[in-house]
Amino acid sequence: MKFELSDDQQLLRNTTRDFLAKDAPLEKSRRIMEHDPRGIEAPQWRQLADMGFVGLLVPESAGGQGLGPIELAVVCEEVGRVALPGPLLDAILAGAALSAAGGQDALLKDVAAGTKLVTIARADSPFAGTATEVTRFQDGRVRGRKYFVPFAATADAFVVVTPDGLALATPPFTVTPVQTIDLAQRFAEVTFDQTAARLGPTSLLEHVDRLAAVGAAAMLLGLMTRCLEMTLEYVQTRVAFSKPIGAFQALQHRLSDMLLRAESTRSAVYRAAWCLATNAPDTALACATAKAYAGDAARLVCGEAIQMHGGIGFTWELDLHVFVKRAKTLEAHYGSTEERLEEALAAAGW
Amino acid sequence: MDLELPSRALAFRDELRGWLRDNIRRPWREELRDPAATEDSLIALRREWQAKLYRAGYLGMDWPAEWGGRGATEVEKSIFEAEVALADAPTILNTLGIGLLGPALIHHGSEEQRRRFIPPMLDGSEIWCQGFSEPGSGSDLASLKTSAVLDGDHFVLNGQKVWTTFGPWADWIFVLCRTDPKDRYNGISFLLCKLDTPGVTVRPLRQITGESEFGEVFFEDARVPKENLVGKIGEGWRIAMTVLAYERGAVSLAASVRFGRDLELLVDTCRTQGRLTGAVREKLARLLVDNEVMKANGVRTLANFADGKVPGPESSIEKIYWSEFDKRFRDTALDVLGAGGQLLRQSPGARPDVDWAREYLWSRAGTIYSGSSEVQRNIIAKRVLGLPQA
Repeated sequence: MKFELSDDQQLLRNTTRDFLAKDAPLEKSRRIMEHDPRGIEAPQWRQLADMGFVGLLVPESAGGQGLGPIELAVVCEEVGRVALPGPLLDAILAGAALSAAGGQDALLKDVAAGTKLVTIARADSPFAGTATEVTRFQDGRVRGRKYFVPFAATADAFVVVTPDGLALATPPFTVTPVQTIDLAQRFAEVTFDQTAARLGPTSLLEHVDRLAAVGAAAMLLGLMTRCLEMTLEYVQTRVAFSKPIGAFQALQHRLSDMLLRAESTRSAVYRAAWCLATNAPDTALACATAKAYAGDAARLVCGEAIQMHGGIGFTWELDLHVFVKRAKTLEAHYGSTEERLEEALAAAGW
Repeated sequence: MDLELPSRALAFRDELRGWLRDNIRRPWREELRDPAATEDSLIALRREWQAKLYRAGYLGMDWPAEWGGRGATEVEKSIFEAEVALADAPTILNTLGIGLLGPALIHHGSEEQRRRFIPPMLDGSEIWCQGFSEPGSGSDLASLKTSAVLDGDHFVLNGQKVWTTFGPWADWIFVLCRTDPKDRYNGISFLLCKLDTPGVTVRPLRQITGESEFGEVFFEDARVPKENLVGKIGEGWRIAMTVLAYERGAVSLAASVRFGRDLELLVDTCRTQGRLTGAVREKLARLLVDNEVMKANGVRTLANFADGKVPGPESSIEKIYWSEFDKRFRDTALDVLGAGGQLLRQSPGARPDVDWAREYLWSRAGTIYSGSSEVQRNIIAKRVLGLPQA
């Protein structure tokens, strides 16, 4: 029994961290976020693919790494630590969906190589609640409008989720980009009215949704850990009333609570990843728990980080807001907190 | 990473489960909930239960074989706590003796002290209370003033202890006392004092639950034989700190089991009352998720134990987590149960499953005892985050 990562997993963590430190520093990421309308830079995306991150969960036979949920958590945590922009998690999840469907090895090879981008088109309504119109997939034709489709302006194909099953839709689409607070993520509305290939029943997504919970929660963990580190640095250097503000108990106690949230998130994320990897009986509840808790925890930790930085924390210049905004996206997507709470209730039989 | 229990631990768990199934008369919550139960009858029950556990070899499991030990690891100790919680067994009576003084004697005591005090501590014939806090010295424990002056072959004790858990029915007290007024830490010693010593007075204090589980202890020229000093003069603070650190275990795991069971019962009640809807559902879902995270924290600690890692100051996180959760949970329980949640157990109409009113009041204690939440946050700030002294 061991909570620490295995040697291989530790190696993956170190390699990922080193790579991101060198090739995805925040100055560069902010340039992509703020100036590239597509929010993704081709050479960087190719590098991520070369490192094996995009095809992380894709079987080796289809050009991927064939790794599992624990490795997903490791990579996503590191990606969160640097607030990496782009569709990495979206592509990984679409890869998992295509792998689950089977028969998509040619496309998966391109996905893993970074030459084709596929994401999942899911939401039938821009706001929470019952959609007035639902995208259908009947007689080989997918018809309807999807909202908040990740990186739709760049994607080559979509896994479209409908009550009639999963469809693989390829161009042309009508794509209307939307703008959100998060600069690192791009979304668009996509209108479908075309023939599409059937991937399989929606039940294929059960496992993908759990991976989404683990991946997003791990990213939230990385984001909040980094925010806490930046804040700890700041409160020890910023002097007020003749001492570093980190000497004030009013801040110390709140910083302790931030650590409590971050470390508890770490326990929940890696336990969920392990449960999913080993198909443990607690898997459904553990995954729902990790995502629901991580969303709340990140909101608190990143929010406190801004508060403790004071005025500078409210500036565009400082990087903190990038983390706060990333966290907000992750909170609302990949199974929103509310949806994950419902899932937890269902898993407990309540 | 591997969170599966090792096979040795699984075998221990299964053996223990069987034993608990055969030996628990009825769930502890039912004993507590019994209108005929009195403080004395519950104490008698806990003493009897402790003796039973001792005879079966489940107390002091990690101590040397000579003192009842069976070479158990921290993993098995933590499993024991979780299984006892799962089976809803009574809590033993001598928690402070076995949890704190036992390890102190094993690590710092003399051979004579071990022989004299450990067997009756384990079988429950001598119950111990802990003389640490004083009026004015609670969170700032090292400011304690109770004095011990050597006079021939006795220490003469003067002063007062307060919030002394089990004081009203204990036989002995282990006392932190000042042997040097000039040295804050090295001026503290660790003494063992019989509570019927002339000059010692115990007064029960009534708690907000109406019970008197704690009290105050007064020393007026009470003479304690020199051989009842644990360690050397001036080593008391160090002994107390190492012993408190010993009081760890994967507490979150056992706590999540206990809370999880009460939470299930709360959900059952809400379902019966047609209250499992809207706002109530969301409250229950958050409690469920928070309790699962506590479980994850517990599994992590357990795995770290198994991996040979001894928890450091970060274990304060677990203390804050479970005690703050306890308050949130019990508050919410009374909130969703409505006025009926406040009924005392002896009252007509009280819930037959859990004594919700008592649990609600008790939850106020956990964030104060054993280092308040504020003290734990100070520890995290200084020793984990490395923040400067305020």
